[in-house]
Amino acid sequence: MNSKRLRQKIWLYALMIFITVLTVGPFLITLFMAVKSPGEGIYDSLIPKEPTLENFVTAFQKANFATYFLNTAIVTCLAIPLNLLFCSLAAYPLARMDFRGRSVVLALIISTMMVPFQLYMAPLFQLSGELGLRNTHVGLIVMQVSTAFGIFLMRQAYLRVPKDLEESAYLDGANKFKVWYMVVLPLVKPTLVTLAIFTFMGTWGDYLWPLLNSTESSKYTLSIGLAQLSQNFDGSNLKLISAASILTTIPTLLIFIWLQKYFISGATDGAVKG
Amino acid sequence: MDREPAIIQNTKIKPVPKKIKWRMKHITPWLFLLPSIVILGGFLAYPIIEAFRWSFLDYKIIAGSGEFVGFNNFKEIFTDKYFWNALTNTIVFLLMVLPLNVFLPMILAVLVNQKIKGVGTFRVLYYLPVITPMVVAALMWKMLYSQSGIISDLFLKIGIFDSPTNVLVQSSTALVAVSAITVWKGLGYYMIIYLAGLQSIPRDVYESADIDGASIWQQFTRITIPMLTPSITLVSVMTIIAGMKVFEEIALTTGGGPAGATTTLVMYIYTKFNSLDVSIASAAGLVLLVLAIGASLLQMKMTSKREDDLRA
Repeated sequence: MNSKRLRQKIWLYALMIFITVLTVGPFLITLFMAVKSPGEGIYDSLIPKEPTLENFVTAFQKANFATYFLNTAIVTCLAIPLNLLFCSLAAYPLARMDFRGRSVVLALIISTMMVPFQLYMAPLFQLSGELGLRNTHVGLIVMQVSTAFGIFLMRQAYLRVPKDLEESAYLDGANKFKVWYMVVLPLVKPTLVTLAIFTFMGTWGDYLWPLLNSTESSKYTLSIGLAQLSQNFDGSNLKLISAASILTTIPTLLIFIWLQKYFISGATDGAVKG
Repeated sequence: MDREPAIIQNTKIKPVPKKIKWRMKHITPWLFLLPSIVILGGFLAYPIIEAFRWSFLDYKIIAGSGEFVGFNNFKEIFTDKYFWNALTNTIVFLLMVLPLNVFLPMILAVLVNQKIKGVGTFRVLYYLPVITPMVVAALMWKMLYSQSGIISDLFLKIGIFDSPTNVLVQSSTALVAVSAITVWKGLGYYMIIYLAGLQSIPRDVYESADIDGASIWQQFTRITIPMLTPSITLVSVMTIIAGMKVFEEIALTTGGGPAGATTTLVMYIYTKFNSLDVSIASAAGLVLLVLAIGASLLQMKMTSKREDDLRA
């Protein structure tokens, strides 16, 4: 019995390690490629002989990735707090207040979650041109602040908060904004973190809208810079592409390590998003 | 809300003046909603309405206007063989991804649900592809797929290939290669969905099955899979909805080629947009919307039917 158990365990670990090779392997290969020295052939061997950070320096200095990094950081750092603010504001009356038009507003917001971006990207592109938002950070940020999904997520969180707390705050004479800000918001902090993560992931790696809206290289985000760099997919360029790919991934990796448990709990919250 | 006056009297607080009460009830909610309504109205609702309008015009984006052409744009796409090719590719892509997305993450979830040492680390490692920006994932795989890359090498050694091959440039394999990227990227995410489902199955169900002498395989097929039905439905819906919108994996690896072999519906729309045929793009976008809504409704119906079956 015991040896059967042990054998089972060994198989289990072997299988899990095999899957790890599949999920983590591509990162390692990219990382190895990124630290290969200029003299080394890209496919000579998997493991670099003389690891160097030269390709990262080149990405920053010659390939403009410092600018792309800064653009992405500005857009993301502004989008997150604004999205949290607007979504948590909008969701509150939809969860707690009784007013004419509530169900219509709620139905409209939820139904827009089904609409594919590709349907309205052309009119949006024209609108951003008319408003002078083409090649601006605002043009990218505005698409990430206040999302139907965020409002939905925050509303779900408010519905789980017991009503008594708010009622006693009203008795103390607080107004609705005060109650929302001082009583309710602190209680939904975990959901705010989840929404912050979704906003970060959605903004940092966003591709299609920045591709349409940011046409000048000085306004590229990392995704666009990377895509442009990969237009030349020759062997000579692969080390640089790899280094830039690693650079683009590091911030998401750090945030994942920092807020791991929220990523996991958020995945099931986000399941409605599709 | 209705009980408020009584409570106020009891606690001897000055009653709120009628005017302020009216404002609280009718104006305050809209103040909360204001920023979102402005943004969603301007940058979501307005462009969606415009897209509907454009699909019945021959809109010229440079002139900023177009003439009404009725259903001509729809006629044009429905008689365009490239549109049908894109629709077929989208369906084939979904048919390849769906079973893999349903079963592979389920196996992963069962594995990381075991009570053994180090299982938390494996969960994290399996989740890594999910947090990778899509552009990075696409480029990493493009590198792996290249002619001198590791996949070609491996397949040469096992004897699947006769000569070094880039699967992305062969029309027979390109769509399979692209769908592998999608599956790889989603594994960890759907694993977490299944894990939540697994953890809601009571342990004693397995214990009594153990006592009855059921094998691990029997336990998996007779207990785990039936009990995971809600998760399976959820994963299927999410796969179908996300799969219809597949874009980056394709745009950055094959660009829709070779010879349209990986042109999906979204790639078709994107190509039309790029050639400034925005009315055609809008009409094709509406088809995509109808398909997305249809898939959701069908799935909703299936879920409620299954629940009825369980109740009966």
